[in-house]
Parts: sequence; C-alpha cells; structure tokens
Amino acid sequence: MAEPRWPEPGAGTLDVRALTGGRLLDDVPCYISIQDRHFRILEANRKLVEDFGEHLSERCYAVFKGRVEPCPECPVARTFQDGQEHTSGETIFDRSGLPHAVIVKTSPLRDPSGEIVAVMELFADITVQKELEHRLHDSLTRFHNLFDVVPCYVSVHDRDFRIVEANQRFKESFSRRLGGFCYEIYKHRKEPCPACPVADAFADGHSHSDEQVVFDNAGRQLHVVVYTAPVRDARGQITDVMQVAADITEMRTLQDQLASLGRLVGGIAHSIKNVLEGLRGGVYVANLGFRDQNQADIQTGWEMIQRNVDRLSAMILDMLYCAKQRSPRRLPVSLPEVTRAVVQLFAARSADAGVQLAAEIADNLPDLLAEPRDIHSLISNLVGNALDACYTDQDEQKSSRVLVRVSRQDEQAVIEVADNGTGMDEETRGKLFTMFFSTKGASGTGLGLVVARKVVTEHGGTISVDSTPGQGSTFTVKLPLGGPA
Amino acid sequence: MTAEAGPRKKILVVDDEPDVCLYLSRLFQENGYAAACAGDGLEAMPAVERDKPDLITLDLSMPNKSGVRFYREIKSRPDLKDIPVVFVTGVTGPGGSSADTERFYSTRSQVPPPDGFIAKPIDPAEVLGVVGKLLRRSP
Repeated sequence: MAEPRWPEPGAGTLDVRALTGGRLLDDVPCYISIQDRHFRILEANRKLVEDFGEHLSERCYAVFKGRVEPCPECPVARTFQDGQEHTSGETIFDRSGLPHAVIVKTSPLRDPSGEIVAVMELFADITVQKELEHRLHDSLTRFHNLFDVVPCYVSVHDRDFRIVEANQRFKESFSRRLGGFCYEIYKHRKEPCPACPVADAFADGHSHSDEQVVFDNAGRQLHVVVYTAPVRDARGQITDVMQVAADITEMRTLQDQLASLGRLVGGIAHSIKNVLEGLRGGVYVANLGFRDQNQADIQTGWEMIQRNVDRLSAMILDMLYCAKQRSPRRLPVSLPEVTRAVVQLFAARSADAGVQLAAEIADNLPDLLAEPRDIHSLISNLVGNALDACYTDQDEQKSSRVLVRVSRQDEQAVIEVADNGTGMDEETRGKLFTMFFSTKGASGTGLGLVVARKVVTEHGGTISVDSTPGQGSTFTVKLPLGGPA
Repeated sequence: MTAEAGPRKKILVVDDEPDVCLYLSRLFQENGYAAACAGDGLEAMPAVERDKPDLITLDLSMPNKSGVRFYREIKSRPDLKDIPVVFVTGVTGPGGSSADTERFYSTRSQVPPPDGFIAKPIDPAEVLGVVGKLLRRSP
C-alpha cells in the first residue's frame, strides 16, 4: 500500500491509536471500527478488514450497508450527539455480500480537552445466534401448531395439578383460563383424585395411562383415555407432566350399544325359549288327549298352546314397540280418567292378592297432550309392577298397599306410583330399564319398564325411581302438560 | 309305561311357570307317577309337609329366590332332607343367563348339591331318565 494507513502522530491530525490502545484492537474477536463525525472510517481492526475489506476514509453506511446516505437511526450519530454509548441491532453485508446480524455498540472517543473527536463502533456478530433463534421460533411455532391441531386434549400440569399450558382443543372443551386445578376443571372435584396418572408420572418419572370419565364445560360426560409423561428441564428434573387425552366417548357408546344388543338377543332367545317350553307342553298334553280321546287333555293342551301364542304375540308387539322410532300423537288425554280406568282394571287382581289399591287425583289437572294408548300402557305397567312387588313380598305382617298419585307441578303432570312391597336393591335398580331384565322369573317379559321409559321419553318427560329393600318403591313420572317439545 | 309295581311314587313339581308345571306333571302322570304342582317355594313347603313326595323338581330361577330358600329349608330339615331334589335350570345354553344357578353354587357350601339336574328346554326322555334313576335308588 503506497500511502500510509495512519497519519503520523503529531501531524495535526487525530492519533486514533493513542486513544484506543493501539494494536490491541486487532486481537479482539469482533469487528471494530472508528468513525469521524462524517461517518468516515478512520480505523478498522484486523477482523473487520479481513471480512469487509480495506475501506479507510470511506463512509461506514456505504461500506457496511451499501447505502448512499447515512442510515436513519444511527448509533454513531447519536453518540456524537449526546456523548453516550448506544446499542442497536443491525444487519451489515460483508465483502462477498453475505449478511451478518450484529449487535452494534458505540462509544465516544474524546481528545484531552474532552471533545468527542471520534466514535468507536463495536460489532458483535450474532448471525449464528439469530439463525438459531429463527429455527427455535420456527420449531416453537410448529410445535404449537401441532399442539393445537392434534385431535386430542393436551395439557401440561405442574406439581400442584395446575394446568400451566393447554392446546386449543383442551381450551375449547374445558377451560380457556390457564392456572386452574385439573381436578376442578374437568373432574368437578374439590381435591386431587385418589388415583392420578399425573401424580404417578411425577412420582416415578414414567408414562402412565388411565381411562377416565371427565366433564366438559357444558357438563357433558366424556370417556377419555389419558396418557401422561414427565417433562424435564435441562438438568433432568421433572418440572411438569404432560397429559394427552383422547375422547373415546363415541367408541364407548358403540360398545355399550353392542353389548346391549348382545343382551337383547340373549334376552329374546331366553324369552322365546320359555314360551317354547309352554308350547311344547301344550302340544304334549294335547297329543295325549288325541291319543286317548281324552277331551280334558285336548282342552288343557290347546289352552296351553293358546296362552303361549298370546304371550309370544304380546312379547313381539312390545319388542316392535321398543325397536320403533316414532313420535306420539298429541291428543288431549285426561290423566284422571286414564288413572281411574287403570285402577278399575286392576281392582279385581289387587283385591284377590289382598293389596289395597287407591288413587289420589288432584283436581287442577288440565288435559295432557299425548298419545292416549301410551299413557294407559304406562300407568298400567307401573301399577302392575307395584302389585307384583306387593304380591311377592314375604312380609306377612305388612298390610300391602299401592297408591297412585296424580298431581300438577308447574307445567308438568306428575304421576307417582308407590307401593310398600319388596323394594329393590341397588343392583336391581340399576338394571330396571334394561331390556329383558326381570325379577319375575317366567311371568315377566323384562319389557314393561323399557316400554314405560320409551313412552315417557317420547312424550318429553322423565321417569325416576326411589326404592328401599323391604319397604317398597315409588316410581315418579313427570310429563310436560303441553306434550313433547 | 308304568314305573314300578306298588303305590305310585309322588313327584312335586315346583315352577312359577304354570305351563311348565302342567307339562311336567302331565308327563310324570303319563309315565306312572303321581304328580302335583306348586307355583313357588312358599306354596311348595306346605305341599311337601302334607304329601311327603318321593321327589321334587325345582326351578331355581323363581322370583324372590324362593326356590333357593325352599331348597335350603328342605335340606336342613332331618325329616325332609332325604327327598331327592332335581333342579330344573332355566337356561344353560347360549343366550341365556345361568346367574341364579351360579349364585346358588357360590353359596353351596351351606347346602348339599342337588340330586340331579334337568336343563330347559325339557327333553321328556331325559327328564324321565333322571327321575327314574333317582326313584329306583330311593327306598
């Protein structure tokens, strides 16, 4: 290089090296340049020269940014202005045009009189960090997207069972607010659950799974399969537990339906077998009569056949009724009239069995909008059952009674059928409305209450039962006065 | 076909299904036995005490578990426990529930096992075979 890089000290120009500590600058592993008030580069360290070329006296904005005029936000200018250090993030381009993300720090250089004569600019190359930051951001975004689109409920729980993070789906179904307790949010509990796969994962650091029933924010019951896994920090300490829950409600419903279909088929087979037994008996007895020309046997046999054919047809009608989807007509039905008719129908039977059958009918009942036949069959079913419960009661001391109470409660008609018969245990109560479940052995079809419930549901009402073994049962039906919605 | 010479052996049929009662009793009568019917355990007990039958057929799956109770009582009474009792089990084949029989077995330790089994649907030849064998053996 012909011209000296540095003006000689004492030549009336600025001795930059004296201000900055000389060659020390060359050994610093970052870019350093010194600019004057006009953004001319007075000095550059070796690394800067290597990567950006020799550009002494050229304007920094031209050298680093390829600009023709000063940058709008310039830390060098600001330092000249206020004498303070400034920091900014910039992108500069090296001699081969590659961008470098840098953090720029500027500080004033003063002459002995304290005047700012130059500004030293220090560039820390953060290109690699920037790149990493980008990738981190990308993967975070991707992770979050995955987190949100995954067709499961994903939540992250801390040691206190607070939900610290959750995906979109979880938020939509359970809680938008983070920080709540999982057991409160979807288990409606006041304290942690006794068996908890989150607690298990915290305890042993392994994955755990469980099948649970949870409640969404609309109060619906969901069946979920839950998997939990510990989330560890860099030191390997478990900080949180992540839970993934898959909704299997539909599958459960299907499974239940399949199971009840299985029971249904079994029940049908069982009921038909019983009827078949009666038919065979009838045929046997009738055949004896034909063989011996015995009129009594022929008659008995035919009666048996007749009875069982009737049973079979009643059963099939009930079964068809259960299987059919239909909406009942909405005709005015006088509940008091139907109730009295049913009580009348059962009067002889209850008197024979020594059961006192009575009705209490409120006088403020308007007509119900319903299917008349259905309401009759509903009340007959309940009264028939109540009488059976009294009839099979072993307690000789009791004076058996069945009370049918019909009243009005707001816009609903309430039908209560109470008996003081055998009552039911928990198990029986649970199976009451199951097809072909009967406690009456061969005399029950196991369809009565199924039909009753279907009638109630089709009319937009509810049916419930209250029962104590040995003390009796009360069935309560509530029907909207205006008919089904 | 007559069972044996001498007085007819008496069979009590206990079943809540009247037609099965009729069927079995008529089958027994036709084959040389005297038969009577009872609709449940409560009805059966006085009949046993009165008639002292030589054999009882019992349907276990009756309401109120009165069949099981009846069986226990018979087997716990010294004067009645030697009467052979044949269970007529409701359903054992596919599609049925043998819950009552199973429940009975689970409490079996307190009572002796029954002397015979007949499965529904009833096969007349099988019924007569089981009953005949038991009655020939008894004094």
